[in-house]
Amino acid sequence: MLSRYVQAYNEAVFETDKQAALAVVDGALQDGYSPEDIVFNLVIPAVEAMMARIEQDPDSNLAQHFMTAQIASEVTERMLEKFASPPEAIGKVVIGAAYGDLHSLGKRIVIGCLKSLMVDVIDLGINIRAEQFVDRAVENGAQVIAISAMMVHTATGENGSIKVRALLKERGLEDKIKLAVGGAPYRFDPELYKKVGGDAWAPDGVTAAKVIIQLIKEVNA
Amino acid sequence: MTPLEILAAAINGDPAPRIPIFCNLLDQGARELNMHSQDYFARGECVAEAQLRMLKRFGHDNAWSLHYVGKEAELLGCQKILFADDGVPNVEDFVIKNWDDIAKFEVPTDITQHQAWQAIDDCLSILRAEIGQTHAICAYVTASTTLPALLMGMDNWMELFLTGPVDLRDELLRKCVDFFHQHINALRAAGANVLIYSTPFGSPYLVGNKIIEQIVLPWMKLDLQPGGVDDVVYYCGMAPFNGVIDLVFDQLGITSHYISPLADLAEAKRLINTRGLTCGVIDDIKMIHWTEAETKAEVKRIVEIGKQGGHFLFGNGVMPLAVPEVNIKAMITAAFEYGQLT
Repeated sequence: MLSRYVQAYNEAVFETDKQAALAVVDGALQDGYSPEDIVFNLVIPAVEAMMARIEQDPDSNLAQHFMTAQIASEVTERMLEKFASPPEAIGKVVIGAAYGDLHSLGKRIVIGCLKSLMVDVIDLGINIRAEQFVDRAVENGAQVIAISAMMVHTATGENGSIKVRALLKERGLEDKIKLAVGGAPYRFDPELYKKVGGDAWAPDGVTAAKVIIQLIKEVNA
Repeated sequence: MTPLEILAAAINGDPAPRIPIFCNLLDQGARELNMHSQDYFARGECVAEAQLRMLKRFGHDNAWSLHYVGKEAELLGCQKILFADDGVPNVEDFVIKNWDDIAKFEVPTDITQHQAWQAIDDCLSILRAEIGQTHAICAYVTASTTLPALLMGMDNWMELFLTGPVDLRDELLRKCVDFFHQHINALRAAGANVLIYSTPFGSPYLVGNKIIEQIVLPWMKLDLQPGGVDDVVYYCGMAPFNGVIDLVFDQLGITSHYISPLADLAEAKRLINTRGLTCGVIDDIKMIHWTEAETKAEVKRIVEIGKQGGHFLFGNGVMPLAVPEVNIKAMITAAFEYGQLT
């Protein structure tokens, strides 16, 4: 039964023990489970379990979020190469750090989780202008623009999310592209996302993946 | 009583007319002097002048020596800081670009001879002469376990810290401890009398308790033991750390704790009690959009939780530039009003 692997994998991730988590995956493969089984019945449930755990215990730590994302994306990447046929992506996201912001940890956590949950991610990097976010989202047919900002001025400044919102409005794209925001300042003021034009926000990188998927579903509905 | 005496009374539990009131205005100084932040931070005498002007205008108890995130990275070889018009400076060029750079990375033999130190020294010498006997002069020292985030980026450091080779991680940390000792000694010698020990990896919000106890704590001991902790404030970069307060008392001996606005202040006060100083901190990001009345109400709430039994200080985090000055004034006025002890 894969369930015993699920438990061992979840414990390894929770303990931020990457080697132990990868050993669980190797063990499951050796026992004959398919790469599809590993991704859909081990990795994705583990990411979802971490999401649920964060909801119940907001004090779960950043290292756990980071390792959840890193292990999930690494295993998913390895397994995807072995899939019988490539899985269908559930949507597309353009992600980056706000203009003037050079922090990449939060973005990296979100990307890792999204990839393992079968979302196509276009990573624009750090210090990204508002026009770039919108242009690249349009070019790629993305349903969501996700903007990470770790400093107050990059979260609230005129060249960040506020300008992206203005551009979406100006170009008549607000029904086609949703805007998700995240980063430390939003944790201190949970209403801040509305003031900068966000459709949604998340207090951490793992939850951000969940929020972004919900926005994709809204656009696709 | 001078502000410094009021601070000492709060720490020791002695009688005083009011609680100490800290207001951290690091980036407002450039605006005060109508300068761009890059020019402002390049001249220590300007930073000191702005700190003294704001101290006079607002009447709080502390001034800040020259600091921005990245200053320590400059002392360690960082060549590029991104200065913003509307916010805090930010490290743009990492000294350690890959793990191979760790072996080549060297701490200067004497950081006070480094060009980047001069402005700090200029600032502190003025502050020490003007208010050294009467006010708290704060300086910021980043813990060895957090310094690598400034040198290689938080995500790269997190990866090395959690999954990389232990010997490589420890080689980098040893170098960071060497720097830390030089830095804290130099700040003390130059006149800083309150050292804010910034140690986000000492918060259970960042890493689990097991990692704190087994990995982070031993390095924090190495940071702090040589110079003592009487003037040191435990601070986790605004992350909550109530869960390790007892550990910090027992293992590090630090008695002053700068509590996150996201933490339960009443719980922190219970844990610290009369053993040390509880610093109740307002969420100054919310102050961007609050009214004066909302700001005052929050100060009242915090002070009423903390001031019973003494051993309490009111403060803020790092005041965002977007906070209107009327709210800064409202915060300080309310802290004086509600912080009366007699």
